[in-house]
Amino acid sequence: MRKLMVLACKEVLVTFRDVGALVMMLVTPLALTLVMMAAFGRGGSTPLSAIPVLLLNRDTGALGEALTDIFFSPSLGDLVAPTLVEDEAAARARVEADEVAALVIIPTDFSARVFPLATRAQALVGMDVTAFSPAMSLTPEQMAGLAQAFLESQAPAAPVSVEIYASPNWRISTLVVKAIVSQGLERLNIQIAGMTNIVSRLVAGTLQANSSAADAATTIGAVLAETVDQETGDGAADADLPIKLHITSTTGRGFSWLDYYASSMAVLFLMFTVTSGGRTLLAERQRGTLPRLLISPTSALTVLLGKMGGSVLTGILQMLILWGATTLIGAYWGNPGGVLVAIVSLVMCASGVGALISAWATTPGQAGAIGSAVTLIGAALSGSFFVRWNLPPWVQYLSLVTPNAWGIEILSRLQAGRALTALLPWLGGVLGLTLVYYAGALVGFRRQFR
Amino acid sequence: METTALVEVQNLFKRYTADSPYAVDGISFTIHTGELFSLLGPNGAGKTTAISVISTLLRPTAGAVRVDGYDVQRDPMAVRRVIGVVPQELALYDDLTAHENLRFWGEMRGLHGAELQSEIAAKLALIELTDRAKDRVGTFSGGMKRRLNLAVGLLGNPKLLMLDEPTVAIDPQSRRYILDWVKKLREQGVTILYTTHYMEEAQELSDRIGIIDHGKLIALGTLAELIQLVGQHETLRLQLLQEAGGAELAASLQSLEGVIQASATDGEVLVNVTSAEATLASIISTATGLGLSVRTIDIREPNLEAVFLHLTGRALRD
Repeated sequence: MRKLMVLACKEVLVTFRDVGALVMMLVTPLALTLVMMAAFGRGGSTPLSAIPVLLLNRDTGALGEALTDIFFSPSLGDLVAPTLVEDEAAARARVEADEVAALVIIPTDFSARVFPLATRAQALVGMDVTAFSPAMSLTPEQMAGLAQAFLESQAPAAPVSVEIYASPNWRISTLVVKAIVSQGLERLNIQIAGMTNIVSRLVAGTLQANSSAADAATTIGAVLAETVDQETGDGAADADLPIKLHITSTTGRGFSWLDYYASSMAVLFLMFTVTSGGRTLLAERQRGTLPRLLISPTSALTVLLGKMGGSVLTGILQMLILWGATTLIGAYWGNPGGVLVAIVSLVMCASGVGALISAWATTPGQAGAIGSAVTLIGAALSGSFFVRWNLPPWVQYLSLVTPNAWGIEILSRLQAGRALTALLPWLGGVLGLTLVYYAGALVGFRRQFR
Repeated sequence: METTALVEVQNLFKRYTADSPYAVDGISFTIHTGELFSLLGPNGAGKTTAISVISTLLRPTAGAVRVDGYDVQRDPMAVRRVIGVVPQELALYDDLTAHENLRFWGEMRGLHGAELQSEIAAKLALIELTDRAKDRVGTFSGGMKRRLNLAVGLLGNPKLLMLDEPTVAIDPQSRRYILDWVKKLREQGVTILYTTHYMEEAQELSDRIGIIDHGKLIALGTLAELIQLVGQHETLRLQLLQEAGGAELAASLQSLEGVIQASATDGEVLVNVTSAEATLASIISTATGLGLSVRTIDIREPNLEAVFLHLTGRALRD
């Protein structure tokens, strides 16, 4: 055991003293993460159509309906395929089953909480303030009721949430749904700001309590015109209104390009590291250090396990450093315990690829070429360069022969907030793949060391 | 000198594949404790293969090898504990320092703690690299690396030290250092198996020499015993002005009276004769007759070169 540790530590030391290896292991993936994030950060370049989205409108007011109507507007006809639903549990189940991209839930008291003035005015004087126009005239009773409604609506209220319950497997679609809802909420915010401004100006004294109805009409018209101007101004959308967009997923988190590329680039360059680690076995044979090891009082198995252990340790250190570094620039990898388990499993599996290559290649050059080819093809298949969910299903299945695909799947789920226990089937898959790789490597090593 | 056999090689055969020729073809020899035994032969003669089998790196195809009483096939780990090997390659890690290299290889030999530290300090002092202990090996000269390579082989003070062509591709100064160092080890009683294709090294260092060619051990004995094989012959070394023509001259000289063997290599012709004085004139006449000019003639007393020429009909460097 001591010799095994010494061998593994030697591998790590030699690797981390190689400036070229450090650039490849740590600097390049970080740089590529930032470049990819800059390139795809807004996510607007991916072609999408007919995104299946469920709309659950529990609001009894006009604003909830206005929000759902946006999804049915002709301009979004090709982009989304909305369906109004009433059963929340069934709708959530459809999201969890990945049948639809997301479920948008508009809460029961949405209109009342977003625009309480309208509700109070309706209740006190039967007035629909959303229907103000310059031609309207107000009676003194209506003015008094409006003032009363305005005062009552000034009490602070808790923000109301529109929830987007999204599947982690429809990440780009979720971003599209989010954009639509955000745009709708922004439009509502502007309208509410305008109405509130009108009434506040009326109530604050622009309109005197004893003014005539004609004066009131004139004042309303002037204020409304002024407000319309403001709506089109830069600051209109920044009004501090109590509508918040709350995106959740089946597991509690949304999608981020930074998160995605931080982990996928780390997995890609982990593959470079472990395949390079496998190459060192052949290089040591060529350099003469492997034969020297094999004639020391150390078993061939210990030598092999030490080499592989070194590769695993190096890979784990690389992933931990990349995890830490990308976290510093804002990436989220998920629950730390889960990430640790995922990293160890993934590195074990990836080192199996390195072992397999070094067991069957005959020269370091051959191993290097095969390693690079395997790494790059695996990366392209599995989603290191572009999201794997955009690939045809058969490619997605094919990519599961690579550790990259499993790594990206597991880490993405952790990033979406899934618990480790929910990932056990995936971790089992990684373990199975690891065993397959090492079994193939064992056959090759027996051939080499017999 | 003790006469206990530390290494016993009996009828050893080794070939790499079933249809390849034997790299080692039925050799037998014994190395006694405290002895410096050289295996002398040209490149490809089978020296490294023999040393690889003795050191347990390769399995023999047939035959038996015992080191310190342990069979290399049945108890390889026990054999590895009593041997130290200095391979032809510089089997070191360039990214580690000299101290780290010695520590790593010491650990692989099963040393650790104070014993290992003491060994490292002693070996660094022995190879005069104590002041460079913390420098990476990649920054060392070829000679310094070669010395460190030797020191690694000596870690743990093995009973048998095997040196496989340790002076290949190094400068004369480093070569001299290594030869002196090997002689010191021999004086200290270390048993050494030394392989070389340099006749001078085998002559200078060895208690006994085995001459190996095409996998066969063609002669074995002390330097004096081997020279006896040639008898009172002398060797003429002719350097020609022309680059070509040596082989033709060697072939012509074979038929001359008094010429025992003749071979050509690298613009030189080696001629084994019964008497240099009696044959020199006819040799020069033969060369002139072939249109060749002799630049220098060197007359040598019988040596291992002559022995090899006598036994194989070829020069050692062929």
